[in-house]
Amino acid sequence: MVSPELEELTWLAIHGRGVINTAHSSQIALTLSQAGVAAGREAFYYMRYDDSPERVQLPFIYYAVFGNPRIRVILPEEVEPVGSVFDTVAVLDSSLLVKSTSQRALLMDGAKKKASLVVNTSLKPSVILNLVRKYGCAQDWEGKIITLRAKKYGQNIALGMTGAIAKAMEPLYSIDDVVESLESEGKTDSVDAVRSAYEEADSLDVTLKAQDCEQYKLKSSLGEAKPFKGAKGWWDREAYMSLKERAANAPTYEQRIEAMPSWEQIAPALIEFGPKVSERNIGFKTSFARTFRPVIDYGKCVNCKLCHVFCPDGAIDYEPIKVNYEYCKGCGICARVCGSKAISMPHELQALEGLDEEEFLTIREALIEYAY
Amino acid sequence: MSGEPRLIRKLTEIPAEDYYVSGHRTCAGCGPALGYRLVLKAAGPKTIVLGPTGCMYVANGHQFLSSPYAVPWYHTQLGAGGAAGIGTAAALRALMFKGKRKVEDVNVVVYGGDGGFADIGLSGLSMGLTYDYPHLLYLLYDNESYANTGVQASSTTPFGSSTTFTPSGKVKAIGNERLKKDMALIAAVHPSIGYVATASVSNPVDLVNKVRKALSSGRPSLVQLLAPCPKGWAFPPEETIEIGQMAVSTGMWALWEYENGHFRLTSKPATRRRISEYVMKQGRFSHLWKNEAALEYMQLSVDEQWGYWEEMDKTGKIILPWTPPYQG
Amino acid sequence: MMSKSSQVAVQKAVQKRRVWTGARSVAEAVKLADVDVIAAYPIRPYTGIMNALATMIAGGDFYAEYLVCDSEHSQFEVVKHASAVGARTFVGSSGTGLVYGAEAAVVTALGQLPVVGIVGCRSLDDPGNFGMEWNDAFMFRDVGWLMEWSKDPQEALEMTLVAYRIAEDPRVLLPHFVALDGAAITHVASPVTPPTKEQVAKFLPPYKPLHPLDPAYESVSKAMHIAPSLIGPEQRKSIDAAMKRAKNIVIPEAWKAWGDTIGREYPPFFEGTQMEDADYAILSMGAYSRNVEYVVERMRESGVKVGSLRLKYLRPFPTEELVKALDGVKGIGVVDFSYSFGSPGNGSVLYNDVRAAFYEAEQRPLIMDYIFAGGREMTIPELEKSIQALIESVRKGRVDKPVRWVTVRGEDV
Repeated sequence: MVSPELEELTWLAIHGRGVINTAHSSQIALTLSQAGVAAGREAFYYMRYDDSPERVQLPFIYYAVFGNPRIRVILPEEVEPVGSVFDTVAVLDSSLLVKSTSQRALLMDGAKKKASLVVNTSLKPSVILNLVRKYGCAQDWEGKIITLRAKKYGQNIALGMTGAIAKAMEPLYSIDDVVESLESEGKTDSVDAVRSAYEEADSLDVTLKAQDCEQYKLKSSLGEAKPFKGAKGWWDREAYMSLKERAANAPTYEQRIEAMPSWEQIAPALIEFGPKVSERNIGFKTSFARTFRPVIDYGKCVNCKLCHVFCPDGAIDYEPIKVNYEYCKGCGICARVCGSKAISMPHELQALEGLDEEEFLTIREALIEYAY
Repeated sequence: MSGEPRLIRKLTEIPAEDYYVSGHRTCAGCGPALGYRLVLKAAGPKTIVLGPTGCMYVANGHQFLSSPYAVPWYHTQLGAGGAAGIGTAAALRALMFKGKRKVEDVNVVVYGGDGGFADIGLSGLSMGLTYDYPHLLYLLYDNESYANTGVQASSTTPFGSSTTFTPSGKVKAIGNERLKKDMALIAAVHPSIGYVATASVSNPVDLVNKVRKALSSGRPSLVQLLAPCPKGWAFPPEETIEIGQMAVSTGMWALWEYENGHFRLTSKPATRRRISEYVMKQGRFSHLWKNEAALEYMQLSVDEQWGYWEEMDKTGKIILPWTPPYQG
Repeated sequence: MMSKSSQVAVQKAVQKRRVWTGARSVAEAVKLADVDVIAAYPIRPYTGIMNALATMIAGGDFYAEYLVCDSEHSQFEVVKHASAVGARTFVGSSGTGLVYGAEAAVVTALGQLPVVGIVGCRSLDDPGNFGMEWNDAFMFRDVGWLMEWSKDPQEALEMTLVAYRIAEDPRVLLPHFVALDGAAITHVASPVTPPTKEQVAKFLPPYKPLHPLDPAYESVSKAMHIAPSLIGPEQRKSIDAAMKRAKNIVIPEAWKAWGDTIGREYPPFFEGTQMEDADYAILSMGAYSRNVEYVVERMRESGVKVGSLRLKYLRPFPTEELVKALDGVKGIGVVDFSYSFGSPGNGSVLYNDVRAAFYEAEQRPLIMDYIFAGGREMTIPELEKSIQALIESVRKGRVDKPVRWVTVRGEDV
């Protein structure tokens, strides 16, 4: 399902967390699209409609697409473009580096071979490279990693990121085009911050071979479909559940689509079947929602069950009290309601890799720009 | 459930089983999702759930092959919650009466939002409340907006709340100028209503008991459940429970029940905290933080309202409260 | 104590002809079908059906849960949900009321629930008008409702009964409208022979949904929100297939079985009179076909080779069968109680369907559109004049003015 007509265009994919980064992403996309137009291109930008409505913490993608000179086809709103499409991948929250999302299995899926990766982080580009090698890539890559601490350039991290992405995307448009775009929006007081970010962002040329990537070694195929067992040709509970499992285990969205049933196989009235009592929904796991994760100190836990009761996602087992990280979204309610202060909320990168990521936007900080 | 409801006294008596299981595309910290979990825990496995369109429909069924409902569940239209509940209950009764189905108690829970029940579906809800089908609960999860479409005002959006249809600007500073409609009182006014209550996701034991009382009341019932919404109300998701507790402790949200014509408060804060504490914690009110006149009006409204609640609690009778309009 | 033979004689007498309105007749069908849940809301002219049912239930003639609803929207939602649980249901409306319930009616079809409903066809507002037009029913012709037009109370009764069998068949599982042409059928009483309980028991099996929404069965999740990249066209296609199975298999089967039960033949899709050697055919639906048949008979007496064809099923539209039945006909006049403003040729709805049906036919007859809009009843002279215009057109070999507003005062521009 490669999309050759989309590969002709220049793509920027901005990955952010729902509600927290929406305003940032739309601002970045707007500013850079206008820069592209100033440089003589046609430019569109949009949030992938399937990510809408955006939900707190749930990842979304904003695209800015540049034509040379025109964009002649309808851009995909639901299914992500596949093939060798993205020229620049920007990540506003570094915890997204170690996740697979509901559509892309890996962060670098769909990226062009010479793509740039721009990350808002306090970690060095070489550390980022290792994370990508471990979690986010299964293809040859000869591009750039650009990092910066976006908060340094203003409470609104869109400014810093705009500058850094401009560095990644030149010469498609220049920093002067970006400045022109900002001035046309009446944002003259942001120009200095954007320019500084552009000049100061850290850059590293990288080469990564597919076979050195962890995910390449692990990458599996969809697997054989079990012979369809439904009575009368359409599914019964057993056939449905085996379809559900196969779809849930598909490594990419493309492959999930492959696993879908034909019209003859779906039961009339699109009847589906629910899970068993307390059996978590394999059809939609949500570990990609976490920036922080709850860690229980069992020395302090008194087994009061407050965390189990108050988790909106039911991600804490009842007996024994234990977090299920496939479904925990890292909202932090459990840590707040715990009467024994037994739950801490380290950053995902700390918990997974022992890394000290200092660049993150607390939701309170994000809402100060977004809503307050 | 038939006969006496199984009431609980402690949090640890809340059943461990989940009928709304993990794995849905709801916001981190989603109040309505927590409500769903708790309400279905209270109702148990012999339950049919109807889900009007809204966050609790779209967010729970993202894509395909991803149901989180371990009990029979069916979508219904935004304004159809009332009819969906009554149609389901009527079918059960007809089939049992005719011997086409075993006779037993089966709960019907319509888990719908304020947009659906207070606005477009008010007519159908009212119809449902006039009937006598037992074990039918209209659970109104109140996140005080049409959240799924991006947070627009509904008739339960409180005074001063910013939504995309009621933003604050130079000319219209207040944001939402209408007052919050009390759906529980509207339900309570229906003749021969068996059980009506208000609840909050921050008070789970109270919620479980109210759900069980409603389902055993012998007639259609309504519980209006305050379900704080981190996205719509603009607060960090870890504070969902605190916001709910604060709504109660400031008196912005009164917890009460009305059982067979008798009213009582189920929570009586000895002293109510200032509503400004509640308002300051939510970005949807940020344009009011320096608006003394508006804040004063909001405090006065709550204080006046509590005069009525206390009177109702004393007499056990419902008195129609009246809030004067804002003169700012 | 009566002898057995006397009892049989009494029973036969009871089953003799009654004089019933269409409303009362349909209510009898609902009773015979042992419907479980009925949702009522008043609007002229269909209300009489619900009145009759309420009286029957109150008097103990039969039992069903009877909900007095707050609106047509709730009405249609009630039966949709009752059907999902496994109840056999009945609903109905007319005109603007039917349109008020449109959201619910659409979802019922796309959710594939075998609700049976009556449309008491009535002119749409504005202005308010108790006249008869088909546009209320036509609003639903694309979304998956089966639709059938009755010609009199007898047929309304039988069509309602047979509709349950067709709708509930697991090969179909689509809701089914039976249309009554307004007050001409609902309010006019005429002789009816109701079927017996035994006949119905032989013909109509109980409703057994595949997966009832009920904790006594496995947990189903119905109508979850979907992403079209995963499933979307497939769900629509399965309705398309159900509609095709209805037309090709289930409808003919059901009407054959009904015919065997009663002891006569029921052509399932349409009925022709004097069509054998017809050069001209007048195509219509519903109650006013009687006028068409009357005019056709008179014209035959003066040697005009004209026939009448009364269409019963509008959805599924019996394209191949109709084209075959009209093979050799040189001109068709469509008697149409609808409008479709701005449509191709500014014709009306049934006319456009008929034209489309003939597009691929080897021999395409001339087709004319006789629009009876606004609810004004047709008169015999108007009908005769329209047919004369068809005959003239066939003689000329072309139709100069295919679309005619027959009953309007003023110039038909």
